[in-house]
Amino acid sequence: MKALAALLSLLAAPALAQDFSEGSEAKAWNLQGEAPARFEARVTDMLCAVTGDCPADCGGGARQLGLERSADGVLVYPMKNGQPVFAGASVDLQPYCNETVEVDGLLITNAENGARNVYMVQRIRRMDETDWTPATRWTEVWAEEHPEAAGAGPWFRSDPRVKAAIEKDGYLGLGPETDAAFIAEWF
Amino acid sequence: MRYPTLLATGLALTAVAPALAADGERIQVTGEVIDTWCYFSGVMGGPDAVTGSAHHTCALWCSAGGIPVGLLGEDGQVYMVLKIAGDEHSNGGDTQLALASHEVKADGMLYRRDGINYLVVAEVVSDEGITHLNHEDFGPVPGFAIPDPNE
Repeated sequence: MKALAALLSLLAAPALAQDFSEGSEAKAWNLQGEAPARFEARVTDMLCAVTGDCPADCGGGARQLGLERSADGVLVYPMKNGQPVFAGASVDLQPYCNETVEVDGLLITNAENGARNVYMVQRIRRMDETDWTPATRWTEVWAEEHPEAAGAGPWFRSDPRVKAAIEKDGYLGLGPETDAAFIAEWF
Repeated sequence: MRYPTLLATGLALTAVAPALAADGERIQVTGEVIDTWCYFSGVMGGPDAVTGSAHHTCALWCSAGGIPVGLLGEDGQVYMVLKIAGDEHSNGGDTQLALASHEVKADGMLYRRDGINYLVVAEVVSDEGITHLNHEDFGPVPGFAIPDPNE
């Protein structure tokens, strides 16, 4: 029976929270349930890892990318890069598609809202690299793709698609008239 | 010898299983298309404040910025959206941007892996637009989402 208990505990192991904080230099963001986490992982695209649909280029930038952690095979979802500007992590991870890397950042675990294996990546390096690359590439890539919009304030105020959506449906998404009435009352 | 064999089999399964693609099941989910980072991280407050009309502008920013979108189901669970009706552009794509904060019914395949629900949407069966009206309760979230006309 002891062996059976050991087996059950091994099978349950991935469900237990693990500590990956050793050596982490991640900056705290004071997020709910954050913990510094530095680990080795293979960069994959999420659609591939979940469904088995696996293009060689990880989707060429179209797909969300993920981290299959070497220590336990857990698929970690990097939802955020290191910039405080509403930017995801896939642009920063794309150059490492299908490579094994080391990442450092913040893991989010929160039973109240269901957060589990959710990650903010702050820096990345290949296994044979000494220097880390900060995960702050998103705004640079956006500026290259939107030369007409870049330079006039933060990207999220200048992005053509966001501006068009707000122009059409307002900041609340309920139409310009609702916006106007709310703004007059709120401010 | 039975238990050691069982133990070895269990170890092998434990080692291999996470690397395999998960089996999917066909489901329909009704819920709000949300910005998952703000929801999970609590960076701007609790779940009620980072959904709905109050958070719509931020939901646009995050979707366009490549933060994954999810469907917050009526069951309270978040379903991470990987593809919508043939559009696999989950990193800032147009289809998901157009659905920011909307209440939709989605038909597709559900996959579960390592504690996260993943949804490959085959069809958006219905799109009710934004039905979660909470801007009067919270104001814009974050506060600077709507520029102050007095500044």
